Amino acid sequence: MDTPPALYAEDPAWADVVPIPQYEGVSPLAPIFYTPEYKDATDYFRGILKTGETSERVLELTERIIRMNPAHYTAWQYRYKTLLALGSNLEDELRLMDMYCIKYLKTYQVWHHRRLLVTLLLPAPSTSPSPSPSSNPNPTHLQTSNPTLALLQLQEELDFISRCLSADTKNYHTWSYRQWLLSYFNHPRLWRGEVKWVERLITEDVRNNSAWHHRFFVVFASGHGEKGEDAVREEIAYAKQKISLAPNNASVWNYLRGVLDHTHMPYSTLKSFVEPYTVEQEGRSEDVVDLEDPLPSAGAELPCALAIEFLADVHEQEGGVEAVRKAVELWKSLANEYDTIRKKYWEYRIREALATQQ
Amino acid sequence: MSIYRPTPTDSFPTDTSVLQGETEETLSKHIPSPEYPAQPLNRNAHLQWLVRNMVQGFPTRYTSQDASQPWLMFWTLQSLSTLQAGLDSGNKQKAIDTIMSWQYPEGGFGGGPGQAPHLLATYASVCALANVGRPGPGGGWDEIDREKMYKFFLSVKQADGSFTVMRHGEVDVRGIYCLLVVATLLDLLTPELVAGTPAFLASCQTYEGGFSSSSQPYFSSGTLLSSPRPPLGEAHGGYTFCALASWVLIKSFQPPPYGVDIDVKRLLRWLVMMQGSEIELGGFKGRTNKLVDGCYSWWVGGAFALLEMLGMPAARTEAPTAHSDTDDEWDDVDGQSYPLRPSVVQYSTVPDTLFNRKALQEYVLYAGQHPTGGLRDKPPKTSDAYHTLGCLSGLASAQHHVTPSTRRREEITLLWESNTECAFTEQRKSAFIDALAWVEEEGASKYVGSSADRLNAMHPVFNLTMTHTDTMMGHFYQQTVPPRLMRRNV
Ligand SMILES: [Zn+2]
Repeated sequence: MDTPPALYAEDPAWADVVPIPQYEGVSPLAPIFYTPEYKDATDYFRGILKTGETSERVLELTERIIRMNPAHYTAWQYRYKTLLALGSNLEDELRLMDMYCIKYLKTYQVWHHRRLLVTLLLPAPSTSPSPSPSSNPNPTHLQTSNPTLALLQLQEELDFISRCLSADTKNYHTWSYRQWLLSYFNHPRLWRGEVKWVERLITEDVRNNSAWHHRFFVVFASGHGEKGEDAVREEIAYAKQKISLAPNNASVWNYLRGVLDHTHMPYSTLKSFVEPYTVEQEGRSEDVVDLEDPLPSAGAELPCALAIEFLADVHEQEGGVEAVRKAVELWKSLANEYDTIRKKYWEYRIREALATQQ
Repeated sequence: MSIYRPTPTDSFPTDTSVLQGETEETLSKHIPSPEYPAQPLNRNAHLQWLVRNMVQGFPTRYTSQDASQPWLMFWTLQSLSTLQAGLDSGNKQKAIDTIMSWQYPEGGFGGGPGQAPHLLATYASVCALANVGRPGPGGGWDEIDREKMYKFFLSVKQADGSFTVMRHGEVDVRGIYCLLVVATLLDLLTPELVAGTPAFLASCQTYEGGFSSSSQPYFSSGTLLSSPRPPLGEAHGGYTFCALASWVLIKSFQPPPYGVDIDVKRLLRWLVMMQGSEIELGGFKGRTNKLVDGCYSWWVGGAFALLEMLGMPAARTEAPTAHSDTDDEWDDVDGQSYPLRPSVVQYSTVPDTLFNRKALQEYVLYAGQHPTGGLRDKPPKTSDAYHTLGCLSGLASAQHHVTPSTRRREEITLLWESNTECAFTEQRKSAFIDALAWVEEEGASKYVGSSADRLNAMHPVFNLTMTHTDTMMGHFYQQTVPPRLMRRNV
């Protein structure tokens, strides 16, 4: 790219546009000190907004603003409008966005723009809402009509997301974009590799909660994972194994609770698994290896507060005076020793449990 | 060396636990000790910092927030109000004129002059006007084009009950919260506007208990399916606050349809689990296994008050007797006494929070304050406008107990005048009364340092002061709002 003049005000190609200053007749409170380049570009952008021009040079202008401030949503919105008006090649735009997504990973707008492009480039599935004509132009002539090609493009898109996630493993926008892509296009072939894929991320960092959420999304929430009893048993076994590796990990306990709640399984099914995690390390006998209920690793720091909480819930669910007494003892140990910051909450649990007994 | 237990890593380090460990090391240096005594609220430094931004302007690095000018304004004005300060009438007028220049000719407010209307910018502009505006010519309030704003709201409504933040924008619960707050304040709520929204909100609750940014709808020949509606993104503090506050607002206007509900028990568990341990000074995190951050003092810490609107009672603390000159409450269970003696309040039984309100105050005071003014995410970061309000509002919510009051509700009801001819007058009345029924409970405030650190109590839904909320809603609903007993402080 050759370098255009630093300022539009000095560029003869823009001499026909009347720049509009941001504040006219108002001396603003709390203004921002812009660089001369930013002020110049946004003055010309306001000029363009006024005339409603859609042209190649508008694409150049919005890109320049976005480079200086990727959160300028009006620039994005106008860029989108211009792309449509010009019938621009959206594939090219998507490739340009590859760069921007990585550079401005934390900006809402880059990910949303991408979503708009992908929605236009690929045919909409029958499960998506019928677009209202005003808000979504959906020009069918732009779309890939070949289903194999569409699938390949989606697969490429997933690969792109994977690359972004390796740079920032917990980026909220990237994760929700991936989940949108999967559920919006809802292609059985796309879902297929997802559990294996996210397993790699969990293996890399067992405490990555975004990855755990994704697993739950794929297997349960999306309604497209395996739902049979075997699959549920497999998920529970997987979670147990990850707990044994590093028990003080809220992500995996939340996942385990999520699976049980979602499938309406009583917590008591996991009582014998949980118990060894609620006591000190040295008291355990190492000789019995139970594959179904893996024991805490040698390095585990026990007792584990999350396990105590779980066991208390088991007792509370069982009900009855004796079980509730046991639950209360466990909550007391959390309040006074193992999870003191949440003392008020554990005391609340005790009060609630005792109140329902009366 | 810290006296508190680091988060256990089970001899199994990963990126998350390494970062957590480093953060705990930094934070634990801010735990007061004889060499580094506890900091009070640095009121003057923060006021100066805020006024400097307001009058002199924001430095160039804030260009990234050029499309968030209403937010910069709201964060700053609201921080001043939290600190019990305000602008002189000249600067107030300047603020009003600045805010009104963001109103879009076709309705709603944009992020700056000429910028497209956006739900977030609309919330920030209207709430900034709640701080500085007034009725009458030039006051801003009567220059808000409510009719066009309502049209803008309807234009971004989606088939699944959600809203996009702007034309061609993304759907997320922040936008819904912003829309509902504005619609409630300005008397724009209608059944048409919120149809389907409760079910959308409920679908954003994840298995963890908190809420995600949005959910994905499925349709079968044009009809929305009730399941699946998978949440997109994991449970998150900011979205959870927005979803919960939205739920509370809609519920006041009309009960959610049969079968549509949120799991309050699981939500409560998630909220309490977001509080960091003692070594993290009891700050709040925004997601499981992420780091504590000052802004979640409000998003998560502030969310607890909202649970009371959903029938979750406040915790009660049985105070021992009036014997002690040390406050039982603030001595920790491990017997570790704190370097600072809290001011002593004596009572028989007081409401208390389900989170550790003492620890949250400590996080904001010891880690959240930047030495040269303004507040922040965590040390060693610099302060910014967003975190300044997040920390201050969070601190306020940890100081006071704000709760819906039956007596206040009765007073407002008594003065209510039926003054519209719409088909949903009862719903409108109910939204009005619920919104104004919140009161700061007398004698329930607690301060880690002294009452010199007192901040104004915030409205738990709007994040405005009670007075600003009363005045603005009274004006737009054309109702007389009974005065509150004013506390004299500082
Ligand atoms: Zn933050």
